[in-house]
Amino acid sequence: MTPRIVGANLLVRLKTLSRQRSAMFFTIAFPVILVLVFGAIFTKTEQMNFDLPVQDLDQSSASARLVEGLRAGGVFNTTAVPPDTDAVAYARDKHLTLLLIIPRAFGEAQSRRLDGRDTGAASVLTYVYDPSSTSVATKIQYLASTVDAVNHRMTGSRPFITLAERSILTKSYRFVEFFVPGIIAMAVMTSSLSGALNANAELRQKGILRKLATTPITRADWLLSNVLYQMILAAASTTCILLVAYAVFDVRPRCNMWLPLHIVLAVFVFVGIGMLLTPIAREAESASAAANALLFPMMFLSGTFFPVEMMPGFLRHVARGLPLFYVNEGLRASMVFGDDATSLRCAAVTGVVAVVVFIAGAVVTRWDREA
Amino acid sequence: MNNSDEHAVVVESLIKDYGSLRAVNDVSFTVARGGVFAFLGPNGAGKTTTVEIIETIRRPTSGRVRVLGMDVSRHKNEILARIGVLPQGFCSFDRITVGESIRYYSRLFRRGAADVDSLLDITELRNTRDVLFKDLSGGLKQRLGIAIALVNDPEVVFLDEPTTGLDPHARRGVWDVLRGLKRRGRTVFLTTHYMEEAELLADTVAIISKGRIVASGSPDELIDRHAPFLCLTLRRVGEGTIAVIRRMGFEPVGDARGGVSLRVKHADNVQEILRAIGTAGKPLPGLEVRRPTLEEVYLELTDGKMPDGVCVPGGAA
Repeated sequence: MTPRIVGANLLVRLKTLSRQRSAMFFTIAFPVILVLVFGAIFTKTEQMNFDLPVQDLDQSSASARLVEGLRAGGVFNTTAVPPDTDAVAYARDKHLTLLLIIPRAFGEAQSRRLDGRDTGAASVLTYVYDPSSTSVATKIQYLASTVDAVNHRMTGSRPFITLAERSILTKSYRFVEFFVPGIIAMAVMTSSLSGALNANAELRQKGILRKLATTPITRADWLLSNVLYQMILAAASTTCILLVAYAVFDVRPRCNMWLPLHIVLAVFVFVGIGMLLTPIAREAESASAAANALLFPMMFLSGTFFPVEMMPGFLRHVARGLPLFYVNEGLRASMVFGDDATSLRCAAVTGVVAVVVFIAGAVVTRWDREA
Repeated sequence: MNNSDEHAVVVESLIKDYGSLRAVNDVSFTVARGGVFAFLGPNGAGKTTTVEIIETIRRPTSGRVRVLGMDVSRHKNEILARIGVLPQGFCSFDRITVGESIRYYSRLFRRGAADVDSLLDITELRNTRDVLFKDLSGGLKQRLGIAIALVNDPEVVFLDEPTTGLDPHARRGVWDVLRGLKRRGRTVFLTTHYMEEAELLADTVAIISKGRIVASGSPDELIDRHAPFLCLTLRRVGEGTIAVIRRMGFEPVGDARGGVSLRVKHADNVQEILRAIGTAGKPLPGLEVRRPTLEEVYLELTDGKMPDGVCVPGGAA
């Protein structure tokens, strides 16, 4: 291995990157944009707020108190629906996903119940909903719990069973704090895997590898310069993500020795996978397709965007077989929870995978024309 | 003087098999130091495979190949340090400038960058020093490829189809660079499809067909040996004149401009034909007599053989 050759190769890669705006965007800006977008979306989720059209057919003080109670939780912004319209047709025409109907005689039934004239008196609130909406289930859940709370307040009864929370964490965390380590892992994976795969395929297709084969550059020089290049990109991308997360969302993760360790191991893993795929995907187009075929499932199944616990049982097992899962978990353990034991366990798994795939990748990377 | 002093490349009984396909079949030839050697052959003849074995990037199945006295199977690194290669369809990093490309490749070979200015001068690229590779024309890209092939001051330069796909002006620009290399005493191993190029630049030529060397020697020797005739072209001749020529036992073939071409053995035959046309009372046509070209020899020796008695109309392309 010759440092002069490694340095020359590294310099060419960095110069190429600096003159290629699209590559700069996908390497540095894209993960930052993801942090901004998802951070903004899920920050709002923490103060969730829905519009709730209400058709008050009773027009009583009791129904007005109910509407007020619905608003009081801060989850719903109620709007009035004219009582003389057909609620279903109205919801369909106005493209509403959820509409609540307060029935006639609601106030009267409540009065009978409260003054003891009829202890079995009850009133049924009907909700009209659009089952094709992806968000309506969440709204209905919130509506049910809000109505339940209003119910207890109105009837003055105290529920027998209630819930109290105790977190295993020493502090409460926001979504964006969990999200940032996942995005760092995703950025390292995307850049390393597709970078190694696409660069090799492109250089092979253009005949540059054919030319390099007639120079003293060795496989070790080539691999080391590729890994160093990906490490520089990973460091730049991670720094940008952390700076933006801090500046915009005041995210202050722990940045200790675990962070570079997980990133270095992740670079070896994903550059190794990229090298393993190179003999299969020899053209730039097929390389890109092969990279995407691996990147996207890994991105969604490894807990980058949502917790693995939300997935069906068999997918959770699949997730535990993916290297990105351990990078995600390791980074979260070190950056969010300060959990050194989990971080070490994940680093060990990633390290073993890194050794295996990088050696295998190096073996299949051929310089001569017999490949 | 032994073989390795005299010859830059020695290929002996070279065989290369790809599975059951024999791409190179018992090929032997030598390349003298300091000259231009042209390696010719149709597509799929085994040309590139042979060159890649000499360049050490393919392994021979059997046979012996020595470059600068060193065996290609045992001295790969030593050989690579002393040869320069312009691969077929040369390409470099799109977003790296001409000057940066030369510096990059020179750093792969040695400490301290090569004399970039001198390489730019040799290849007449000084004005494009700061131009990105992707913005260069085809001819300039090839010239950069040649400059890069020279970064390690090689003793042998391999140029694989350096002018393929170039327009006539760009091709001539590359020829000037090759002539410059020859003047500087480099050994140039040229692979080309253009016979005119080989005839113009090469001291020695070897023609490979179906994995075997079918002829080798200087262009003049090959023409004398394999095309011992003259090409006579008569312009604007009528049917009567053609009939006179046919009666003399020649086989004229018409061209698109109303003329005919035919092969004759001696200059005397030309006089006999003109005399016969005059005697028959036909007007004497305009004429051109020329030696066969290397292209005609090549076509004789490879599968693109022309019909008997016919010269390539108008000579080589």
